[in-house]
Amino acid sequence: MRTVTFLPSYRKIDVACGSTILDAAQRAGLNINVVCGGQGKCGKCVVYVQSGKTEFDRQKYSRFFLEDELTKGACLACETMVQGDLQVLVPESTLIQEQKILVAGRDTEIEFHPSVRKYYVELQPPTLTDPSPDLTRLLWGIQKSGGPVAEKIYVPLEVMREIPTLLRHSDWKVTGTIALVPGGYRLIDLQENDTSKRIYGAAVDLGSTTVVVYLWDLVSGKVVAVASNYNKQISCGEDILARVNFARKNGLTKLQALAAESINAALTSASNTAGIDREDIYEVVVAGNTVMTHMLLGIDPAYIIAEPYVPVVQRALSVAAGRIGITINQNSGLFVFPAVSDFIGGDIIADILSCSMSEREEISLLIDIGTNFEIVLGNKEWMFSCAGAAGPALEGGEVLFGMRANPGAIEKITVDPVTLDPAYSTINNIRPRGITGSGLIDLLAELFSACVIDRTGRINTSIENKRVRTGPHFPEFVVAWASETDIGKDIVITENDIKNLIMSKASIHAACVTLMKQAGVTRHEIATVYVAGAFGNYLDKKNATIIGLIPEIDADRIKNIGNGAVTGANLALINRRERKTLDDIASRIAYIELNAEPSFMDEYTSSTFLPHTDFSLFPMVQKLIETCRLRKG
Amino acid sequence: MGYDLHFGWTGAIGRVILGATRADGGTRKISYHIGGETTLPLLDKDPLSPTPLVALEICDNPEYWSPIIKNFCGDLVNTVDEWAKTAETVYGADLVRLYLTSTRQRNFSDIASVGKTLEAVLSATALPLIIEGSNEPRIDSEVFLKCGETAQGEKLLLGTAEAGRYRSIAAAALAYNHSLIAQSPIDVNLAKQLNILLREIGVQRDHIMIDPYTGTLGYGFEYSYSAMERIRFSALKGDTDLAMPMICSAIDSLTIKEVREAEPALQDEMAVRWEFYTGIAAAAAGAEIICVRHPKTVGMLKLAFAGIRSGADFTDVK
Repeated sequence: MRTVTFLPSYRKIDVACGSTILDAAQRAGLNINVVCGGQGKCGKCVVYVQSGKTEFDRQKYSRFFLEDELTKGACLACETMVQGDLQVLVPESTLIQEQKILVAGRDTEIEFHPSVRKYYVELQPPTLTDPSPDLTRLLWGIQKSGGPVAEKIYVPLEVMREIPTLLRHSDWKVTGTIALVPGGYRLIDLQENDTSKRIYGAAVDLGSTTVVVYLWDLVSGKVVAVASNYNKQISCGEDILARVNFARKNGLTKLQALAAESINAALTSASNTAGIDREDIYEVVVAGNTVMTHMLLGIDPAYIIAEPYVPVVQRALSVAAGRIGITINQNSGLFVFPAVSDFIGGDIIADILSCSMSEREEISLLIDIGTNFEIVLGNKEWMFSCAGAAGPALEGGEVLFGMRANPGAIEKITVDPVTLDPAYSTINNIRPRGITGSGLIDLLAELFSACVIDRTGRINTSIENKRVRTGPHFPEFVVAWASETDIGKDIVITENDIKNLIMSKASIHAACVTLMKQAGVTRHEIATVYVAGAFGNYLDKKNATIIGLIPEIDADRIKNIGNGAVTGANLALINRRERKTLDDIASRIAYIELNAEPSFMDEYTSSTFLPHTDFSLFPMVQKLIETCRLRKG
Repeated sequence: MGYDLHFGWTGAIGRVILGATRADGGTRKISYHIGGETTLPLLDKDPLSPTPLVALEICDNPEYWSPIIKNFCGDLVNTVDEWAKTAETVYGADLVRLYLTSTRQRNFSDIASVGKTLEAVLSATALPLIIEGSNEPRIDSEVFLKCGETAQGEKLLLGTAEAGRYRSIAAAALAYNHSLIAQSPIDVNLAKQLNILLREIGVQRDHIMIDPYTGTLGYGFEYSYSAMERIRFSALKGDTDLAMPMICSAIDSLTIKEVREAEPALQDEMAVRWEFYTGIAAAAAGAEIICVRHPKTVGMLKLAFAGIRSGADFTDVK
């Protein structure tokens, strides 16, 4: 065994000789940022070995390091083997950081019909003249307090066993919890005395990256706490594919447990915030993408990612929370949103529910943007959907100074068209560390309007301005000088970054156009565009249109719905009737496989232009850009 | 024939003028007005369906030029002005496309020599010229300015602008009123995008020729053909950003497997055949200028075009 000491926290862990530093760090409880899943591809898990013997191929990974970093012992945690006792410095930038998460949902007036209720009853003890059994007595009492008909309530054996003692011990004053499950009503809990005010439910958005929990008081119908944290599965691979591959190598049990743990952690922190007992949570509603849902339920997701891409389960499911390791009240249920296909999961059904596009006559376009995008077009009669890879650029990946929405990320930016000096704001208003997706979209739109980049996104290096320069590999634009940043380096956007962003936006726009053509709908017929995703809330609508991310329609017809998945989960939690529509919505959506659409690549290529090769699709942007150019002369 | 050969199209291909005669302020013996079609090429006796032109490609440093051409032309390849003259007088080319291969070396800086070469070629031949530079923007910006200046008034065609490097060529074309070749990798949308980029920095539509990028027949030409067909259909349907004449050069013809591995005695003939068949196909797809490297291909193409245009009956062919 070798002892690895991690600085600055001085956490120690013993590992076998030959283990990776990443493995040691994970065992020591450090959340190292491994975008590639520990394959030496992303260069994000940089640590500094300060003393001790290791094995690391510096030559092979030299592209990730500056010369002086290597002399200070920099290496990749995932590719460095422990050979002797080590001291390893883990820089803050290598750790996964707290993330700013969307908690705003849609304000919807909705009837309050939770599927779990508590009933406090004071029963008459049995006598020789009234010898009816305990259970009958209890269920009659519940019926008389407004609960369901006694004969229709099923009582599981575990609860049955507790009835005789509890009733007598509590002097026949008890609170019963009745849940409406697919089989009918069920008595899931019995407690002494009046606890009827203590009943909570949780709505969960189980994302690949983050888990968001809304905790509801199911008596008052109010949100009592919101919490979020990283999906702990990130330690098994950043993207879905990496995780499915991890699951294939006997990793499903671990991934299942991590998914449950991630939800548990968020539930704990929400409960602590609200000052409630987790035992008083009686239901959890989960909306997640298809793979996440499968993993949470412990269903093998391997077949989803291989041709012909079929999920195991498509309908909404109700299971006992305890059976999949969600630690709330022991007999509580967990409701999982249905999925449509491999890529259109419960999160998208939740988006649809939250914007209620499936109930209206008029046509809506819903775009959920993340590393993958999902798009739904339709109305109450028909819906088409498609999904694809947008690449990580819009979330800050594959962009030199791109970052997630962490503190210090530039999230809004404008560029003076004459001086080219930017004005920006960062998350938490600290000195900038990088640029987040919404900031990148702003930047792209502003540089385009200011004629710094041409319509393919290439930087016009003939501009005489100190911010426009040629970097080591590509021309670049300086957003913030080293002296104003928090990282001691100039924050720039390179031509290559811009290329990646344009490819991302092009795939989203091309997918929108492909769906619209399938449905025979023009942009004029779309009443509303809904933009969902963590990124949606901060998205500048005008700039998103200028760069051609979404089809051009009036800005007031574009609506950010933010985290639509959690909003949908909230709706399903507080109104059980909403759940009945979900399977119906899922079954009505036709899925279009973009890879099988010959016109998609054409649409994609014409979208790899700002805003598009065909300016007539963006008349407002055309006018705007022409005005900008006139002003510049 | 009983049907409309213009298919109800409303668009027309724009005209690009190459070469200026004395009357126009140049020294060329002819000035070509390329383009203007309102329908497909090589249609029988349709005046608006002109015959393509054939350009012979030559270079000022034959070091990397195909040995097939060097064998055929002999010492001629070492004197670029003689080569250009022979292209006109012996080989019968309509245009000469001069590759300034001498500039294709690291840190090339002898810009004066470029001017001298061009002057020599201009006086050796009276044909309109197409000039190719170093393919490196930093060098090209000076090379093209020099060419532009040296041949001011001659209405050259400068090549080759691509989406990644178009500013240096465009600057020279704009400054000295020459036209340019806009090349994109076998895609109708990318072709359109480059034309838009050029237009947005001030290059007029009548100064652009589209090079859709030509793969040799059997080596991807079907993709080129399809892209060209789509470019031309879009133009005829009224897309002005694609309504430019096209230029094709299937330079791979001389290096493909069939030529490389041919019996030495047949190699020359094989090279000509592949170049010829690709050229014919490119013309059918709508190319207004076909560029070739083998002198024999020039004559064959011209003969073929003349045959098609005269409405020659296939029974005449022995």
